[in-house]
Amino acid sequence: MNDKLQIKKLYALSSENRKFSFSLPLKNKIRIGKRDYLVQLKADEKYGTYILWKNRKYPVEIVRSRQNKYEILFNDISYTFTVETPFSLQRMKVLNSKKGKPEQENVKAPMPGKIIDILVREGSNVLRGEPMIILEAMKMQNEIQSPVNGKVLKVLVKVNTCVMKDDILAEIKVE
Amino acid sequence: MKIKKILIANRGEIAIRIMKTARLMKIRTVAVRTAVEPNAMYLSYADEIFDNSEDISEIPVFLDIDKIIAIALNKGVDAIHPGYGFLAENAYFADKCIDNKIVFIGPSPDAIYKMGNKTIARKIAIANKIPLAIGSDGNISNEDEAAEIASKIGYPVIIKAASGGGGRGMRIVRKAEEMERLFNIASKEAEKAFNDPSVFIEKYIENPKHIEFQILGDTRGNVIHLGERECSIQRKHQKLLEEAPSCALDSRLREEMGMMAVRIAKAVNYYSAGTVEFLLDSDRNFYFMEMNTRIQVEHTVTEAVTGIDLIEQQIRIANGESIKFNQGDIKLNGWAIECRINAENVQAGFAPDPGKIEYLNLPSDPNIRIDTGVQTGSSIVASYDSMIAKLIVRGKDRREAIKNCKMALDKVWIKGTKTTLPFFRMLVRNQKFQDGTFTTAFLEKDLDKYYFNSEYEEMLAAWLATKLFVEENLEESSINVDFKNGKELSPWLLNKRINQF
Repeated sequence: MNDKLQIKKLYALSSENRKFSFSLPLKNKIRIGKRDYLVQLKADEKYGTYILWKNRKYPVEIVRSRQNKYEILFNDISYTFTVETPFSLQRMKVLNSKKGKPEQENVKAPMPGKIIDILVREGSNVLRGEPMIILEAMKMQNEIQSPVNGKVLKVLVKVNTCVMKDDILAEIKVE
Repeated sequence: MKIKKILIANRGEIAIRIMKTARLMKIRTVAVRTAVEPNAMYLSYADEIFDNSEDISEIPVFLDIDKIIAIALNKGVDAIHPGYGFLAENAYFADKCIDNKIVFIGPSPDAIYKMGNKTIARKIAIANKIPLAIGSDGNISNEDEAAEIASKIGYPVIIKAASGGGGRGMRIVRKAEEMERLFNIASKEAEKAFNDPSVFIEKYIENPKHIEFQILGDTRGNVIHLGERECSIQRKHQKLLEEAPSCALDSRLREEMGMMAVRIAKAVNYYSAGTVEFLLDSDRNFYFMEMNTRIQVEHTVTEAVTGIDLIEQQIRIANGESIKFNQGDIKLNGWAIECRINAENVQAGFAPDPGKIEYLNLPSDPNIRIDTGVQTGSSIVASYDSMIAKLIVRGKDRREAIKNCKMALDKVWIKGTKTTLPFFRMLVRNQKFQDGTFTTAFLEKDLDKYYFNSEYEEMLAAWLATKLFVEENLEESSINVDFKNGKELSPWLLNKRINQF
C-alpha cells in the first residue's frame, strides 16, 4: 500500500498561524456554509494566471516556493503558507514546544539599495525598533531598525555599499 | 506660437503627459533614449528621439545640465520642459537655458532659487505677512544652536533641509535628548541629497492636513490660483493619494488661503505653474510650508475639477502669452481623486518592489483618467521612482468620487510587481477617510492594517498553496486544456517569478 494514499487531509498554515484544512483528494470546490463554490485556476493571454471564484477573476502569482513553503500573491497581497500533513503538523507542534528563543538575529536588507549611514557600532546595545542603518532605495531613505533588543555582534556593510534584497547587514546577539 | 519644438528632459508618465498636450498644440517633441530604459513607452510619443543609450554613466542624463543643453542645441529645440524631479527646480539649469537662448518652461531662475532655498522662502513669507510656523531666523550651524532654539520655541520641532524637499533631510525631534543625533542625521542626509548640509528649525505642527494651492502666473504680472488640493495621505512625507478640492476648506478659508498663495507668488514675480503648500491645523490655522516651482505629480486633480490643461498654460506662458482668464473665471466642478499606483510592497512598509510588468490592464471610463509610462512588458527600474500609474477618478461630489474610485481600483490588473493597490482598496473603505477627518499622521496613527482583502481571499490563497503541494508531492501532474474557457493549468507550469536581484 502506498503511504501517500493514507493522507486524508492537508493543512495550510499561514505565517500568522491561521490554519486552513483541505480534504484529499483536493477538490476544485470550497464549502462555505452549506454550499460548495467552484474555484478554478486559469490563465489567458490578457490576464496571465488567475483564480476564478464566484464569477470574479483574482490575479495570482507564485512568488516563491521552497519545500513545503509557498509565497502566493493573491489579488496583489502576499501570503506565505507552509503545507503540512497531519503527521508533519504533529511533529511541528512537538518541536515548537521544545524550541526556545533564537540567540542571534540577522538584520536583512528589506530591498535592494545603497547604505547611506550606519548609526550603530559593533558592540553597541540596541533596542527593538531603534534605527541602525539608513538604506536609500528608489529615491527614498529607509531606516533599518533593530528587530530585537540586544548587542550588535557584527556590521557587515559600509557606507556607500550597494546591497541586494535579503543581504545580511548586521548580526545582533539577542538579550 | 514662437515655440515650435520642445525637448522633454524627463521620462515616464510625465514625459508622455507633456507630449500629449504638445501634440494638441501642434508643437514637435524630442525625447531622450537612455541605456536604462531603451524601449520605454514615452519614446513612442515623441516626434524625434535623441539616442543617449550609449551613455552608461551612473548619473541619469536628466540630471546632467551640460548634456541636456547640448541635446537641446543639437536638436534645435526652442524650449525645454523639465517635468517634475530631475532638473525641474534647478535655478542654475533654468539660467543655462536662457544663456543658450532656449526657453525654460517654468518660472524664472530667481524665483526657483528663492523658493528652493527654504530659509530665503521663510524670510519672504515673513516680509509679506504670510502665516508660518515659528522657527529659526536662518540656517543653524550645529546641534547646540539647534537645541537652544528648540528649547525657546518648545518641542516638538522639525528640522528641515534648507535646500530640501520630498521629506529628505527632515526629522521630527520630540525631546531634547534626541536633538544631537537627529540633527546630525538630517544635516548629513541634506548634504547627500541636495549638496547642502544647511538645515533650519520650525515648530512642529501636530496632526495637520496638507493643503496646497495651484498657482498660475504669467510674465505680465498676473497671478491667480486654481483652488486647492488635499494631500494628507502620505507615508514618510511622500504623497500617496491627492484630491481636489479639500473637504477641510469652506469658500471663505479657500479665499483666504488662495489670497496668501497668490501673494507669496507675486513676491517673487512668479510665472508658470507653481504650488504653494500649507499645513492646516485642527483649529483651522494655516501655515506656509514651501512653494514648489514646477508642475506636480498631482496636477491632474486640479485639471479634473477646473477643466484647465496646466501643461498648455505652462507652454503658453513660456511663449510670452498672458493668462486668458481671471480669478473669477475659475470654477471648481465636482471632485477628483488621484491614487499613485506604485511598485511597492505595502506589507513591507511600502518598500520598493521593482520588476517587470507582466500584465497590465487598466479600466477606461469617462470618469477615469490614467496617466502612465508603462505597458505590459515594461520594467519598473530601480534607478528611477516606483510609479506605475496615476489613477484619477472623478465624481460629482466626494462621495461619488470615492465610490467610483472603489470600482476603478477593482478593475486595475497589474502582475509582475507588488503594488500599492491593496492600500487604496483599504483606504476607500476606511471610515475616517470617508469622513475626511484624516491628517498627515493617518498612516502612522490611525491604521493597523495597510491593505484590504475580502473575507475569502486568504482561504483561496491557502487552497492554491495546497494545490501546489499536492501536485508536487502526491500526484503525477496532469494538464487539462479547456479551449473554450481558457486553459486549466497545472500550477507547476506557471512562470515562477524570479527575483531580479
